[in-house]
Formats: sequence, structure tokens, C-alpha cells
Amino acid sequence: MNAAPNTPAAALSRRTPRRRLSAFLHRHAGVRLSLLLSAPMLWLGIAYLGALAALFAAALWRADTFTGDLIREVTWANFQDLFTTEVYRTIALRSVGVAVAVTLIDLVIAFPMAFAMAKLASPRAQRWLVIAVLTPLWASYLVKAYAWRVMLSSEGVLGWGYGLTATIITLSYLWLPYMILPIYAGLERLPNSLLEAAGDLGARGWRTFRTVVWPLAFPAVVAGSIFTFSLSLGDYIAVKIVGGRSQLIGNVVYDNIGAANNLPFAAAVATVPVVIMLVYLAAVRRTGALENL
Amino acid sequence: MNLSRTARTTLWAALAGGLAVVYVPLLIVLLNSFNADRTFGWPPAGFTLRWWEAAWNSAGVRDALWTSLQAALGATAIALVLGTMVAFAIQRHSFFGRDAVSLLIILPIALPGIVTGIALNNAFRTVLEPFGMGLGMFTVIVGHATFCVVTVYNNVLARLRRLGSSVEEASADLGADAFTTFRLITFPMIRSALLAGGLLAFALSFDEIIVTTFTAGAGVKTLPLWIFENLFRPNQAPVVNVVAAALIILSVVPIYLAQRLSGGEAGAR
Repeated sequence: MNAAPNTPAAALSRRTPRRRLSAFLHRHAGVRLSLLLSAPMLWLGIAYLGALAALFAAALWRADTFTGDLIREVTWANFQDLFTTEVYRTIALRSVGVAVAVTLIDLVIAFPMAFAMAKLASPRAQRWLVIAVLTPLWASYLVKAYAWRVMLSSEGVLGWGYGLTATIITLSYLWLPYMILPIYAGLERLPNSLLEAAGDLGARGWRTFRTVVWPLAFPAVVAGSIFTFSLSLGDYIAVKIVGGRSQLIGNVVYDNIGAANNLPFAAAVATVPVVIMLVYLAAVRRTGALENL
Repeated sequence: MNLSRTARTTLWAALAGGLAVVYVPLLIVLLNSFNADRTFGWPPAGFTLRWWEAAWNSAGVRDALWTSLQAALGATAIALVLGTMVAFAIQRHSFFGRDAVSLLIILPIALPGIVTGIALNNAFRTVLEPFGMGLGMFTVIVGHATFCVVTVYNNVLARLRRLGSSVEEASADLGADAFTTFRLITFPMIRSALLAGGLLAFALSFDEIIVTTFTAGAGVKTLPLWIFENLFRPNQAPVVNVVAAALIILSVVPIYLAQRLSGGEAGAR
């Protein structure tokens, strides 16, 4: 072998600054770790978390009604408005209702699809089916919402018009792959021998589903629901595109940032979906769903 | 498995029906881009390439496309560096707060987009305004990079877990210093994971609208912002539809690349 001066073997005998630095890093794992974490933590730990903290701190301030300037005094007035005003309560409940409806619709459509993919299709077909389900995920969110806007318009293929139902349909369509993929992965891990054992013991299809398949696939179902639920809860774009005059939590936040220029109230409203998601995540932690994400 | 014939047929029908529901709306957008009727009356009035020509010549579309590409490339580059650094820190070290760090990486995509959007908007305006800087391309890239880190992180972390560190130790035993080992051993081993993660980061940024709405200044218009703005203008409808159709066709490219990269185990993230 031709011993060029920069091969590892040649460098071994020399104490170049680079080698000394390398040796120093090798001996000091703490320094290595700090260097690796420095930039990401400055970015996400300080800048991003700081921005979030500032936002939620702003929820406790209020905006001057005329100038829109921030008045930095701690007050619960925003949350009081939020909980006592009828219209905000209705919108919050409606948003949760939409998120639940989308999750249930996606579950009903996704489960049989995932089951057929995982347990009926041949391994070769499985690969293609996964690609078929993944492909629409790469298509733009706006394009998909737009597709439904065109189909639902009074002149379109379906012509059902816009509104809350249209929003639920569109959101279900948008997030369907996020429900199919975790359930498919969960069912694929489920050994076929268990299903055969259930059959040998005399269980028919429905009973096998109820007592074997569903309990074992449940964490995967919950994992899928985390996506569909949280993505629906924070959405305000699809509502604007197909919702007609309906409003969800996201629209209230958006309108208070833009037209009303009331950051404190927008921040207070934005805590609602975050708190709901945290409660949801805490509730499903015990099912083991978080390991299925 | 002990499934009746009816149950099997029903399940296959559900799969076929589900896939039809997934693809039919996209096909209709493709068909409508050739629909001679300006308002997309159904069935199509006739075949025309007029709208494709109009979209191709639209300066608004071209500018928006260029802006989106710049933003996505910038965000992907940052995400590749930061995501790889965190993945190495998490996989190769054990330290206090490791779980908190991995949670922090996921946080920007776990929280609703609008929360990240208004938090960054507020922070940028507070921090940048005293320096006479406004929102612009820079803030869009920063906003996108924040939620793109996780895709690179996930891919590199999974790769590092599978590889272990024995090959790198062997390299060190043979006398290579840390930098040479990274260049000759580690980097080639994680290269395809970086490509897959970078591809996802690019797609995520290219498609993003909510965080973009809150971090883009007046002069910056990405393609999603352009589409959203023109969606409600009846006279722009045919051009918007062509852009949508083109994006559907283009979305096959990353799928193809992901398949080539992973040899069949393309993950959603």
C-alpha cells in the first residue's frame, strides 16, 4: 500500500494539533457531549422554549383596547373572558367535537384497511400497499384541502356545499394515512399464530376480533388517534377552505393575532388545544401508545 | 386464519374502497387542470392546455416556487446539522435530562402549528425589531428549521442504534483520529439516513403554511402562501388548479427516492 502522509497509520506517529484535539475529545466525554448539544440546545432549548414561555406569559397580560399595546400586568382576565363568554365555549366544544368525529371516522375507515394490508395481503402486495398509503402524505396539504373544495362546491362532483360537515370530511381525508400506518404496523407485529389459536379454540371472526385482535392492536389505535386528534384540534386552514362560516379554536387564535391585534387573548386561547393534548397524552400514556408513535 | 368468505371479501372491499377515496380527489384535480370550463363544472366541458400554459407563464407562481425552494433548502441544511448533533448526543451519551431533550426535539411538531407560529412571531418581533430587522426569508428558514430537526434526528438516531459503535472503535484502534473516523467510517454509514431525513425535512418545509404565515414578512411568499391567497379568487382558480396538479405529480419524486434509499422500508417520518 502506498503510505500517503495523511493516512491514519502515518499520522499515528505525529502529534499534530488535530490529533491532540481528537485525543482530548476522546478522553473528555463531557466536553464532547457539550459540543454536540450546544447549538441544538441554544436553538430549541433557549430560543424555541423561550418563545413558547414568552407566549404563555403573554396570556397573563392584556392588550390596550385602542392601541393594541401590551400592558404588562399579571391578570387572569383573558382566561375569564375565555371561559365565561358563550361563543368561545361553543367554539372550544365544537373543535373537540370535530377532532373526536375525525378520529372516529378515520378509525372506522383505517382499521379494516390496515387489517387487510397486514393479514390478508401477500408480502409483495404489502410493500406496494404501504407505498400506496404513504404516497398521498407527500402531496401538499393545501392541494388535498383544495381538492375537496372543488369537489364539494355546488358545481363540483359531489356538490354538497361547505360547512362543518365538509370540514370533518376534509380533515378525515387529510389525516387518514396517519391512522392507517400505526394500526398497520401494530397488526403486522401481531403474530398470526394467535389468530390461528383463537380459530382452533372455536372462535369465529367477530369473536377473534373482539377478544384477540382489538385488545392487542389498541395501543396502535391510540397512537394513530394522537395524530388525528391533535392535527384536527390545531387546524384552521381547512376550516377556512371548506368550512364556510364555521369557526374552530384555531380561527379564534388567528383572528386575534391578525385583525384584532390582541396577542394576550390569542395566547390564552392557544393554551386550550395544548392543555387538551397534554391531558390526552397523559391519559393514554398507560396504554403504551407513546411507544407506538 | 379462520375468516369467513364474506369477511374476507368485505375486508378487501374496504381496502379497495379506502384507497379509492384516497386517490379519487387527487385524480379529479389532475383532470380538472385540463377542464376547459373555468369554474370546473362537472363533467368537464372539454380538453384544454390553456391553464397549464397560463401557470407556466405566471410570474407569481415562479417567484413563489423559487422562494419555497430557498426556504426549504435553508431549513433542510440547518436541520441536517442540528438533527445529527442531537442524534449523536442522545445515542452515544447518557446524561441527566436525556429524555427531556428528546421530548424537546419532538415538541415543535407535536404542538399545534399555530402555537409554534404565534410564539415565533412574537419572539421575532420582540427580538429583531430593536435591531431594525423585520420578518423575512431569514425568519421563515428559522421557523421551518425548528420543526424539521426532528425528521433528521429520528432517521439518524434509528441508524446509529442499529449500527452500534464497534466499527468506529475498530477504526480508532487502527490509529484513526476522531475526524478521520467520522469522515471515512461514520459519515458513509449514516449517509442514507441523512438523505432520507433531509428529504422529509425538505418536503415538510416545502408544504408548510401555518408557521410560514406567522414568520414570513410582507415580501416573502412561499408557494403554499401563494396557493392559499389565490384559492378564493375565482379568476385565478384554473391556475391554482394547475399548480395543485403539478404538486401532485411532483410528490411521486420523493416517494421514488425514498424507496431507492431504504430498499422498501420508507418510514412516514
